[in-house]
Amino acid sequence: MLEHEVHEAVKKELITVLGGSKVLWKKSDILPYTKDTYRIRFEDEYKYFPDFVVLPESTSEVQDIVRIAASRKIPLIPKGGGSNRTGMLVPIYGGIVIDTIKMNKVIDVNVPNLYVTVQPGITLKDLEDRLAEQKLWLTQEQGSLKMATVGGSISTSGFSRRNQKYGTIADRVMSLEVVLADGSALRTGPKVLYTSTGYRLHQLFIAAEGTLGIITEATLRVEPLPEAREVVLAFYSDFWAANDAAQKLMASGVGFTGAEAYEADDMDELGAPKGLKALLYVMLDGTKGEVEAQVDCVKKIVADTAGVLSDHDVALSFLELYAEQWCGARALTGFEDVITCYIPMEHMREFYDKLWNDIGPKHGIEALPGEKFGLDVGRYRMVGGRYWLPKGEHAWEKYQKVLREIAMLATSLGGSVQSCHGVGIEHRDNLDLEYSEVALEIMRRIKKTLDPDSIMNPGKKLPERKG
Amino acid sequence: MRVMDTEIAEMIEVAEACVKCRCGCCKDECPMYSEILEETMSPKGRNALIRALATGVLDPDERAVRIAYSCLLCRRDEFSCTAHLKNAGATEAFRKYLVDKGLPLLPGHAMMVKSLENYGNPWQEPKTARKKWARDLKDRRVVPGKTETLFYVGCTFALDRSLQEGPRALAHLMELAGERFGLLLDDEVCCGSTVKRLGHAKLFEKLRKENEKRLRETGVKLIVTGCSGCYKTLKQDYPGLNKDIEILHSTEYLSELLTSGKLKLKNTPIKATYHDPCHLGRYSEVYEAPRSILRSIPGLKLTEMKSNREKARCCGGGAGVKTAYPDISEKVAIRRVIEGEKTGADVLVTTCPFCVQTLRAAAQNIGSKMEVLELSVLLDRAAVDKVGAT
Repeated sequence: MLEHEVHEAVKKELITVLGGSKVLWKKSDILPYTKDTYRIRFEDEYKYFPDFVVLPESTSEVQDIVRIAASRKIPLIPKGGGSNRTGMLVPIYGGIVIDTIKMNKVIDVNVPNLYVTVQPGITLKDLEDRLAEQKLWLTQEQGSLKMATVGGSISTSGFSRRNQKYGTIADRVMSLEVVLADGSALRTGPKVLYTSTGYRLHQLFIAAEGTLGIITEATLRVEPLPEAREVVLAFYSDFWAANDAAQKLMASGVGFTGAEAYEADDMDELGAPKGLKALLYVMLDGTKGEVEAQVDCVKKIVADTAGVLSDHDVALSFLELYAEQWCGARALTGFEDVITCYIPMEHMREFYDKLWNDIGPKHGIEALPGEKFGLDVGRYRMVGGRYWLPKGEHAWEKYQKVLREIAMLATSLGGSVQSCHGVGIEHRDNLDLEYSEVALEIMRRIKKTLDPDSIMNPGKKLPERKG
Repeated sequence: MRVMDTEIAEMIEVAEACVKCRCGCCKDECPMYSEILEETMSPKGRNALIRALATGVLDPDERAVRIAYSCLLCRRDEFSCTAHLKNAGATEAFRKYLVDKGLPLLPGHAMMVKSLENYGNPWQEPKTARKKWARDLKDRRVVPGKTETLFYVGCTFALDRSLQEGPRALAHLMELAGERFGLLLDDEVCCGSTVKRLGHAKLFEKLRKENEKRLRETGVKLIVTGCSGCYKTLKQDYPGLNKDIEILHSTEYLSELLTSGKLKLKNTPIKATYHDPCHLGRYSEVYEAPRSILRSIPGLKLTEMKSNREKARCCGGGAGVKTAYPDISEKVAIRRVIEGEKTGADVLVTTCPFCVQTLRAAAQNIGSKMEVLELSVLLDRAAVDKVGAT
């Protein structure tokens, strides 16, 4: 925390540039900004208060804040919807949390060129609602779409379950405006999808977790709303049967939008025959004729793989529940964590075998009912699973070992520790498993060039140098 | 050690559960957070504060009081929360917790409490003013032991002149239907909803006891309330009363009158949309009765707003927010009016005095052509004056 005299001086400066209503410092006000949804160490629960929370509305206000912070080397933590799961938003060195949530304007919808320019604080849901008015969509749908912002999604390279056809947010970014650590505003490049000029600077800020600068504007590729949308939901005897169907779907060449297979424990509610334990859902969209033909192909795959089709109405209502179930009711399940590694398809069985038969019993982690196996079908290859954290003595240390061993397993199989939640604090010290020291050093140099005093979300993303 | 109050224990339970998750799903469609956009002013933020205060990490201060009263208690968030945490209940208990700790109420709220202590209503009106709306109704005073149906009007309908058309219309409809009913007139006392929502448990208990005694002494078998807040309070916050006396909201009651053919309606060609009051909808799950009334009006076309029933947006007028955060309350109301306008309706119909008051003011402020009407008033306009007449 800042010393009293400095705190008062910074407060005065922040209020001068932002006005009193956009600067918070009382503990009652800043308490919810002390952490995100990361499982912080229990004894650190109330340790990391920021000095200030500010709520700018424009790029120039962000620049003013950065200049104030830069002059005193005060850490800056940019925040979107606050739903990050890896500790990216925890102000571990105090400083100023820049909540971008009031930067929620749609600046320009360019219909003929199919792009939209927005401020970073708009939620994915609000943006989709705005685009729908012009019969467009961003195509991004992640579980947290109700509260996740464009800036936050870009900064973590967030997931979209429609990734097979439309990619994720990382594939949607055309150009960014970013306020750098010296307060200058960088336009990363023209608002075009393809160019062979310059370095593709916007790529640097995708998944950068606010460690290189603060995104203040994003230009994103959008699509016309499809004429028709469908979903096929099928039940299988177990996850591996559903997985076989998923492989056949991949090989079939059907241009599906997105698909997921997982083990579930609520299959009765979906009308599944008794004894079936897994499901596969496949989303399709496009022109009416196109979708009808695709549905027929998918249904044939289901029939060929001994799947049982659900009622159509059940499939539609099932799809609607997705965003409502994002957090997995963690308020009821208690302390758990979620696995979202990227695993090459051919190693998936090996991954799960080692996870649940080796790492699990060794460290006392247990899968939540119906949350043992999950797969995002398609090129994304995200495996899923949820487990209760180790309990008892040295629980935190055991949890860290679990994270390390899962990371070792994922990377040894040629995958990635994290596919969509970012690194934050949670995975920072496991990055050495995925990147060589040369690669990490290059990343550190990039960071040093853009943020020489390390005020941009310090302590996140990159591991310390060894030794 | 004093046994912990059940409501406070539940408050801590909700806060503990929420803090384990911290997902923020509750922020989606939370009317207050949508306008203020500060985490603290969301159910998630308040739960974090509750936990910090309950565990002694922070001490309650005047800022905590402002935060506690930044909630409309509308329960919309519970339909976004996967765990369906009772956040509104926790916030109501939080207010009680702060009052019990001796934290001063906000000035506007303190004034309402004072008025309730002195006049039996929150609007600083003398007791005698309560009967003025009914000056044209003759011989309607309840006769203990004889009157079977009591029309319990409520403070806001009775005392806000701009809303008095509501109880008048309901009384007129009851007369048209040939119903025998009585009124308490100036003997009617506040149900206590206002102080209950403000967390002033002691005054609520005093009002409840007084009121319940009076209601029971009338010997009525049925209480009809026009106000959704009174309905919720009498039915849910007066333990046991509902078992001995049937309590109906005017929409349930009128719906029955229509079904039994006691009211006849004429062609009323208008486009209408319906706003679910929180106390009637989410708290009491009365969604169908008002809609069935509207659908029974010949010529009326009912179009639902984008958010309706359990997911309806709040009007912004409840739970002391209008007093504590007038600007935000207005923004919330304007947002709801705009949602109503998008249906193309001529009339936004609702059935709670606070909703009518708040939405009507918002419609006027933005120059909306959409009329905001209490349901009884609309039904009275559509009713044929004599049964069988055309």
